[in-house]
Amino acid sequence: MSVVSSFLTVWRHPERLIGMAPAQQDLMLRMARCSGLLATLDARLQQSGTLDQLAPRIQDLLEGVRIYAANQERAVRWEVNRIQRAFFGTGLPVILLKGAAYHLRNLPWSRGRLTSDVDLLLPEESLPAAEACLKQHGWVAAITDPYDQRYYRQWMHELPPLHHPLRQTELDLHHAIVPRTSRLCFDARLLLERLQPVPGHPGVWTLCPEDMMLHAVVHLCHDGDFQRMAWRDLLDIDAFFQEFSSDADFGTRLMARAEALGLRPSLELAARLLTRVVGTPLPAGLAGQIRQHAGGICESCMVHLLVPRHPDGQGVDPGTLLAQELLYIRSHWLRMPLWLLLPHLTRKWVRNWSSDVWPRRSL
Amino acid sequence: MRICDLTLVQASARLAGDGLYWGVGPFIVRLKSRLPDFNHTFYRLYAHHRLLEPDFGGVSDFHIDLHPSRGMRRFWHPQVFFALDGPTGLAPFPLDHAVPLFEWGFNYAIARRANQYLLLHAAVVARGDRAMVLPALPGSGKSTLCAALVARGWRLLSDEFAAIRPATGLIHPIPRPIALKNASIAIIRAFHPEAIIGPTFPKTRKGNVAHMQPPAASVQAEEEPARPVWVVSPKYQPDLKRPVLDPMSQDHGFMRLAGHSFNYELLGARGFATATALARACRCFELGFADLEAAVALLDGLAAADAGAA
Repeated sequence: MSVVSSFLTVWRHPERLIGMAPAQQDLMLRMARCSGLLATLDARLQQSGTLDQLAPRIQDLLEGVRIYAANQERAVRWEVNRIQRAFFGTGLPVILLKGAAYHLRNLPWSRGRLTSDVDLLLPEESLPAAEACLKQHGWVAAITDPYDQRYYRQWMHELPPLHHPLRQTELDLHHAIVPRTSRLCFDARLLLERLQPVPGHPGVWTLCPEDMMLHAVVHLCHDGDFQRMAWRDLLDIDAFFQEFSSDADFGTRLMARAEALGLRPSLELAARLLTRVVGTPLPAGLAGQIRQHAGGICESCMVHLLVPRHPDGQGVDPGTLLAQELLYIRSHWLRMPLWLLLPHLTRKWVRNWSSDVWPRRSL
Repeated sequence: MRICDLTLVQASARLAGDGLYWGVGPFIVRLKSRLPDFNHTFYRLYAHHRLLEPDFGGVSDFHIDLHPSRGMRRFWHPQVFFALDGPTGLAPFPLDHAVPLFEWGFNYAIARRANQYLLLHAAVVARGDRAMVLPALPGSGKSTLCAALVARGWRLLSDEFAAIRPATGLIHPIPRPIALKNASIAIIRAFHPEAIIGPTFPKTRKGNVAHMQPPAASVQAEEEPARPVWVVSPKYQPDLKRPVLDPMSQDHGFMRLAGHSFNYELLGARGFATATALARACRCFELGFADLEAAVALLDGLAAADAGAA
């Protein structure tokens, strides 16, 4: 059995970890850790009631990551509370995206999910008021470089990140889920029409389940940092499908929604990746509608990279490097037209090469 | 088996190959490095640490790889990187500073992962199973005092971490080399000429740094936790003729401990409960000192008196 299929087995059936040889267990734990999934695996082991059958040293190691994840979740919940306090009386809505939304909705796979920053969605016209309000309440700009500031404000789907110096937290204010300049850009007001309140948290909203899932799909398919985050995005989507698998209409609604937002190709790509890499059966109502084709170069690159890396770097072949480069170019290609892209990449390249550790030897 | 049971050549071969498996306190490390200078110093400083065979039948807590720059940077001002299960965000060091990078990176690795312990930023030494916690302010002389106590027979638990199990309140040893900075290097060489001290690395982020090998007895007792008995907050005061040991309330002791912690906040309520229990179990003091020999004698006296009272 290959390393990856072993890992997927453990992912699906955490109790199988118990019977493995120590060296194999070590590898599985490391792979989970490298993809930011160790605390999630720990939560799954707890759910399966098999945690105490593992060697004490493994339980010890998992306890460390469990406490770490619990603190992150606590911090996210507290941050949402602080945002509510800052927005109180201003009429600004608190709409959570991604990890914070999963946590506050208590979605099952949010247990142990590492979430380091909070992402908010706001109507575009409310952004200036929201930013000013947050700055009054202690948040500051996390990046001060004027070029980066301008880049975010002019072209991105979010403002430059905010940082809270006392709590050491990061906050992103989005007005859309894809960049303005992207070829996939759609009117974000469509998302605002279908918000759902979070039970138990008056005044806090999230996207509807279909939109939450499509956001994860967009993140998976179009983020440049494919190797680092994509595997977790894919398993998020996998978890969505499992969660809503009992809902017979979910697949149909999802496809209709993707169609309406112009995200059908992305959803199809994500569904194919899920089938090819994880082997997840697709929900009824979706399976029949996914156009099955061999997939282009990009899709092959993605499959190649989605396979979790061996932590010792084995398997980093020229093909992987090439695939990384191609996807990096693709993510930028989708993000903005060439006349914007070339000056931007040139600037980033010059900046990366001009900085150097050596002249600052006594750091 | 101890690392010194291998020859340098054997140890280097493991480091350069699939990795050297070794243990320190509760942790197992797999370390890879092809840097001959680093391997040589590591072999000296960690000579007494326990050696594991690659098929020891367990999982490792840390897989660390020290590797030099790749590509053109191999030739132009080469650097060394600290990888922990893959790349970390740690800035590389110049290639000849692999030892300080390893020590610093290993601290980072423990502080980031070992949240099953409350990790205070403090040196810990012990007489038998009675531990003295020395919380640190930068420049307070914590490491120097710790090295001096260890040189005079105290057991070293750690120069950097007081690792406390919330369930038991016991402090678990992580005995590693003591990092001596700047003037302390010469002071400890003079104070304890038999000390094994590695090369001095100039101009690191903390100035000049050299590492003192922990005593074999401290390393061999690495699985014996100690109970906290004293909190002594040291402060080096060059004008002081005699060392002064002032009692400090347990409240202040608590603030000293919690205020210098790697993960006190991360542990939430558990961190608070553990730190208060620690302060309540201890007699707390502030120690002003200039002369090391006199300071050690004073703390020896404290330990002897408390042993007599108990």
